[in-house]
Amino acid sequence: MSKPKVAIFDFACCEGCQLQIVNLEEELLDLISVVQPVTWREAMSEKDDDYDIALIEGSITRPEDEERLRAIRDRADILVALGACATIGGVNKLKNNFELDEVKRCVYGDAADMPHLDTAMTKGADEVVEVDCYVHGCPMDKKEFTHIVKSLALGKEPVIPDYPVCVECKQRGTICRYEYGEICLGVVTRAGCNAPCPSGGLWCFGCRGYAPEPNVQAARDVMEEYDLTVEDLQSKLKLFNSKQEPTNA
Amino acid sequence: MAREIAIDPVTRIEGHAKVTIHLDDDGQVEDARFHVTQFRGFEKFCEGRPLHEMPAITARICGICPVSHLIASSKACDMLLAVGIPEPARKLRRLLNLAQILQSHALSFFHLSSPDLLLGMDAPEQERNVFHLFSSHPDLARDGIRLRKYGQQIVEWLGGKRIHPAWVVPGGVSRPLSEKLRDRMLEGLPEAREVTLRTIQAYKNLTEDFREEIRSFGNFPSMFMGLVTPQGNLETYDGRLRFMDAQGDIVADQVPGSDYRDHIGEAVEPWSYLKFPYYKPTGYPDGIYRVGPLARMNIVDACGTPLADEELAEFRELQRGPALSSFHFHYARLIEILFCVERIEQILNDPDILGQRVRAQAGPNAAEGIGVAEAPRGTLIHHYRADENGLIQQVNLVIATCHNNLAMNKSVRQVARRFVSGDALDDGALNRVEAVVRAYDPCLSCSTHAAGRMPLHLQLIGPDGALLDEAKRG
Repeated sequence: MSKPKVAIFDFACCEGCQLQIVNLEEELLDLISVVQPVTWREAMSEKDDDYDIALIEGSITRPEDEERLRAIRDRADILVALGACATIGGVNKLKNNFELDEVKRCVYGDAADMPHLDTAMTKGADEVVEVDCYVHGCPMDKKEFTHIVKSLALGKEPVIPDYPVCVECKQRGTICRYEYGEICLGVVTRAGCNAPCPSGGLWCFGCRGYAPEPNVQAARDVMEEYDLTVEDLQSKLKLFNSKQEPTNA
Repeated sequence: MAREIAIDPVTRIEGHAKVTIHLDDDGQVEDARFHVTQFRGFEKFCEGRPLHEMPAITARICGICPVSHLIASSKACDMLLAVGIPEPARKLRRLLNLAQILQSHALSFFHLSSPDLLLGMDAPEQERNVFHLFSSHPDLARDGIRLRKYGQQIVEWLGGKRIHPAWVVPGGVSRPLSEKLRDRMLEGLPEAREVTLRTIQAYKNLTEDFREEIRSFGNFPSMFMGLVTPQGNLETYDGRLRFMDAQGDIVADQVPGSDYRDHIGEAVEPWSYLKFPYYKPTGYPDGIYRVGPLARMNIVDACGTPLADEELAEFRELQRGPALSSFHFHYARLIEILFCVERIEQILNDPDILGQRVRAQAGPNAAEGIGVAEAPRGTLIHHYRADENGLIQQVNLVIATCHNNLAMNKSVRQVARRFVSGDALDDGALNRVEAVVRAYDPCLSCSTHAAGRMPLHLQLIGPDGALLDEAKRG
């Protein structure tokens, strides 16, 4: 059996997810035994590139990025979104809560009118093209990444948790962040990270996006129990889960 | 005919970058520019966020040095809370920053630059990558992976994960260090020290082959800036700013980070997203200065640890006054790795490090907070204003890579003039243009280069904008 060819492409992001691949260290060599990386940084040579699986990192923030992503989609059999910027738009989507002109002016002052500073509303990959598989998280979890890539290479369906982070805190025996008076997004956020933030003494930021069918009533109950409002929860959710239009909380 | 050559992308940078080389009618290099071609708008979209979220948000600026942002941000937030953080927390943050600098420098040297240095700038392009080093220089490649892993492991043990660890928080850190993890960190130290010493020796043995590059890789007078201790020694976490001129005279010293605006101005050019900071008293663009390992080795009186100071003494022999060639960033980076190893050992052996009181709790108590720290690539400044509820109103970030923007542009110009001409668009010449950018390690994540593919797209563009020729590699 020939090894599937894998290409990695980056859009607007911190590139931490690609770095997670480097962080595999010796395990990276194992992974390369089942897939063949063909492009680990594109230039403009996508047109004649030949690959089976495209890994997409980063958010889509400019019209030219959309074109590029569509071209990648056309050539790939399987398209995988890596990390919060690609899977849900991530922190880059906070920008959508402001007027774009205001964003440019804040960073560049009077120079903001220069045409090369153009920017557009932030999108996740699946707001532009069809995405076949998601590796959630900010950054993505390298173990989950390995699991997913290996599954795809073997033609199997990867297992991605559909329950909320709370389940993992319970399994680890972590004291609930609400007990510390914090607003934690674990109640509605997809698990799979093994809840490192609550166990490290901080609330869940929601970087893996919503669990597929979040138990909204349970979240309401938690808010009520701790004398908080749904608006409090929504305001926290803006960080990683802002929308196309301004997300008002 | 006048032409333009574009190297797009150079290699990975936080955001995306390209180099354009402009040729005159005789095919000689007229100008060359380093462009950054993307922006995300962090300074705006932090507005309205609660201060306690700021370290976590700003860490997402960069996947390579998230720890530096966590630290500068938390320091700015400490000021917004108006608290002094517990001593164990200070030491733990310091430890985290050193581990981060160590791993980042290791990545820059081994994964990114060592293929150029070991195989030569003119080596076949398909060989200039770290995978090839596994067969040509297996010991060094293994050393690189082990050393970086040591730094990353400390980050993970302290912060829970290697990238964007949610552990440094306004007021301190979120969890104390256990004795067990402290001991495991100590166990790895001897190997880290041996690898570093071995690598420094190997580096010194090969610099003889790069005399021409040393002469022309961003070799020009400029100022230098970085943090120093009250004694004028190397400092990465606290400290105050020192500015040195090209002759080695200290022109401003012990400047509190909160006064950065009196000394640093920021200019914008129409062809790059990256701003151009300059030394205000001198003006733009003459107030060019460099930051990062080279600058730090130039400005300090001493590193303050024995082995690093021995190396610093040799570094000082490179030339009278500050070392001016950006090629020496590599050597400076290696000396700093040694410093990090030594300081990590000192901190781990300090019983305070296991203290259980690690976080000061407070509400918003001040309207303005400025956090300054040394990131691997240079001085990093986070400046926030917040309202009475602790919601962020205004953010200014001066990123380490930005400080070097003027210098990187000047270096690219210098290397292009020396090695590129209209008739010789050869791979070696173009690789040198990229290599000088790589010497600055401008938030260049090297994962790409690590995997061995750095595609390069060159376009020759005539004065009328028509595409005259095209070349691809990678």
